Amino acid sequence: MQQTAPTSFWQRLQQIPRYYIYLLLAGVVVWQLIFPIQLPILPSAATQGVHDAIRAVPDDKIIIITTDWDASTQAETGPQTQAVIHACFQARKRFAIMNLQPPMGVKLAHDLAEEAAQDYDVSYGVDWCNWGYKYGYENVLMALGKDIPTTIGDDFYGNPVTDLPMMQGVEDIEDVGLVVEVTGLSGMTEMWIGLIQGPYRTPFASAYTAVMAPLYYPYLDSGQMQGMLVGAKGAAEMEVLTDKPGRATRIMNVQSWAHVLIILLIIVGNLGYLMARGRAGERAP
Amino acid sequence: MLGAIRQAFTFQPAQTILQLVVLLLASLAVSVALFFALHRFLGPRGRRWLIAAVTFIGGLFFGLEYFYPVHGDPAKNFLSDWIQPVSNMLAVIGAFTVGLGIYSLCQVHGRNVTQRKTGWHNSLAFFLAMLAMLVFGLWDHYLHLPEPLPKVLPWPKGIYEVLFNGLFAPLQAATFSLLAFYIASAAYRAFRIRTAEAGLMMVAAFIVMLGQVPIGAWLTSSIPQTSPYLSFFRLEMLGDWVMRWLNMPAQRGIVFGIAVGALAMSLRIWLSLERGTFFSEQS
Amino acid sequence: MNPEIYVLWAAAIATLGVYTILYRENPISRLFEHIFVGLSAGYLLVATWALNLEGKWWTPMVAERRWYWIFAPVVGGLFYFIYSRRLGWLARLVMGLFFGTAAGTLFREFFPIYAPQIYACFKPLRADAQIGWFDVAVHHWVFVVILITVLSYFFFSVPHEGRFGRHLGRSALLGRWFLMIAFGAMFGNTVMARISLFIGRVEFLLTDWIGHYFP
Repeated sequence: MQQTAPTSFWQRLQQIPRYYIYLLLAGVVVWQLIFPIQLPILPSAATQGVHDAIRAVPDDKIIIITTDWDASTQAETGPQTQAVIHACFQARKRFAIMNLQPPMGVKLAHDLAEEAAQDYDVSYGVDWCNWGYKYGYENVLMALGKDIPTTIGDDFYGNPVTDLPMMQGVEDIEDVGLVVEVTGLSGMTEMWIGLIQGPYRTPFASAYTAVMAPLYYPYLDSGQMQGMLVGAKGAAEMEVLTDKPGRATRIMNVQSWAHVLIILLIIVGNLGYLMARGRAGERAP
Repeated sequence: MLGAIRQAFTFQPAQTILQLVVLLLASLAVSVALFFALHRFLGPRGRRWLIAAVTFIGGLFFGLEYFYPVHGDPAKNFLSDWIQPVSNMLAVIGAFTVGLGIYSLCQVHGRNVTQRKTGWHNSLAFFLAMLAMLVFGLWDHYLHLPEPLPKVLPWPKGIYEVLFNGLFAPLQAATFSLLAFYIASAAYRAFRIRTAEAGLMMVAAFIVMLGQVPIGAWLTSSIPQTSPYLSFFRLEMLGDWVMRWLNMPAQRGIVFGIAVGALAMSLRIWLSLERGTFFSEQS
Repeated sequence: MNPEIYVLWAAAIATLGVYTILYRENPISRLFEHIFVGLSAGYLLVATWALNLEGKWWTPMVAERRWYWIFAPVVGGLFYFIYSRRLGWLARLVMGLFFGTAAGTLFREFFPIYAPQIYACFKPLRADAQIGWFDVAVHHWVFVVILITVLSYFFFSVPHEGRFGRHLGRSALLGRWFLMIAFGAMFGNTVMARISLFIGRVEFLLTDWIGHYFP
């Protein structure tokens, strides 16, 4: 669409070149990362639900953390995964990482788990393990409900999961005390709820990117989900609950000011639009 | 020989390597013969019926196992014991489709390189990157390094780490992070209050954007958190209320509509009533 | 070999290379895009073999001599006939199998997913010992009104004419207003998500890359 050259100040206000907007955004982010203004983060009820669900898992059951994300959402789902892992380590609950899609997530989550494990007296195979990437979506979940060792086969390192000490006695989904899904993909939650949480009544909690989270509040309301982490905010709240401030806390400090910038830009654009429209209305016969 | 035949019909594991090889080759031969016969003797109508039958049986198995009455402890029916092996087999079969996308990519980029089209060096970079990841990824897998990892890593593992954590993950993260700039620019240029509905949308967006970040809580921090009615007007509480009690019922309404539509569509596909499924118009 | 420093520099150069596209389309960003697609394809092959096929297909078939696993690549290989005009129907055969199983799986999932959703729609609309009037008014009544009006917006079986149709039309209009609130909330969350991704990258550049030399 051809735009006529802006004549009035209000019209020019609506057409700030995009490079200035990019520079403003980058400037705000860099400014806050270098000179952060710390503001308190208050955990929400949804995040508390995830934390409580982890603590409520019986000691003889394991937690499945399904990390269905990749580097495209790493800034949100990475800290979420690490915060959940810290909560599991602190509560002394054994957990298994797995991934249905995309395959990249399982290595990224594995690196995060190894990093978190350094803060605790834990070891791979005893306190946590990584089942790896298992292709098959619903087929994997249906098989998982009946027979975990056969469905999983080998772990992330290529060793049979039955060789791992923590997997002794883990036969089927009845031996799982909680499933925590960390994902940036829609559709995965419906599979877990439809094939695992619903039929077997396995407790389920989740962590989503902020884009997806609004779609899943109905599951929180119905009780199908014990709790939900929403984007980097949820990860930061979880870091507060586990007393392990990390990446998410730093991101949230910056996020505030970036949001203020976006709001100001929208207001400026609309101010220019409304004033220009008002002027045009005055001039019209 | 007789042992191999008995193994074939009872699906028992082979006893020796020779038996295994014989059974593998025989299975391949039988499969090829079967598909050749189906291709030769089934006309277009017969093929459509076969596809419809396979679709129906595939859906019938999983649906019937769920709805058929169960008994005993643990509660199960005559199909329940088959769920795990069938699901496992389907998952493995599905894994073989990985080559489909790879083949398309190689076809497109291969043409660019062989025909020296504009930007063919980018396609060459594609092949080099793919080969490098394939070689060093598999090399890393078969190194079987001990856990925890040694301080000094073998060089193939080092190169794999550079490819994965140095290139693959950062490239993907950076590509998607560009959206921040685009959404900032788009919000500034396109979000105009032309109607009251747009104004309502903007107010909701502002409440959520401020309520989800610490500055929202700070702006309304003077409102006491413990007050049963006033605390509702704290920005983080307002944002939570918008998400849980304004957004949630709307999403549930949308979800119900999608659910009914998905169920109807699944029924049509299961019964092969949907024209154009499986590209049948091409046959 | 200690790859950390190489990882750091490769990641920083890759990130900055991609960001050059913000100025305009250029050969550097295009090169990095192609490298990314190549790495992605290679990793998919590695992950599919190492984390799936090796343990769940090759080992049972070869090490445990379960010869019937040969049928998995035979059936899976039928997908590749999609590229053949003559034998393309074989690909449709196996696609039919997967479409059918997906439909059957949806039949299994439907009630566990949606029955609790329907049950949760019935909320108390009167204050009692457990829930006060404020919560009932501000939460449950609002919920019921929004749910009914949004559902009426998607109800296309009755035209918005006649006595009932006009009431339905007004309800649908109100539903549209509530949908705009939901979309505004989704927009707010989308902004948060996108900005987080960028903050994550800048945090890497400043804290991990530059911070490695200037802590």
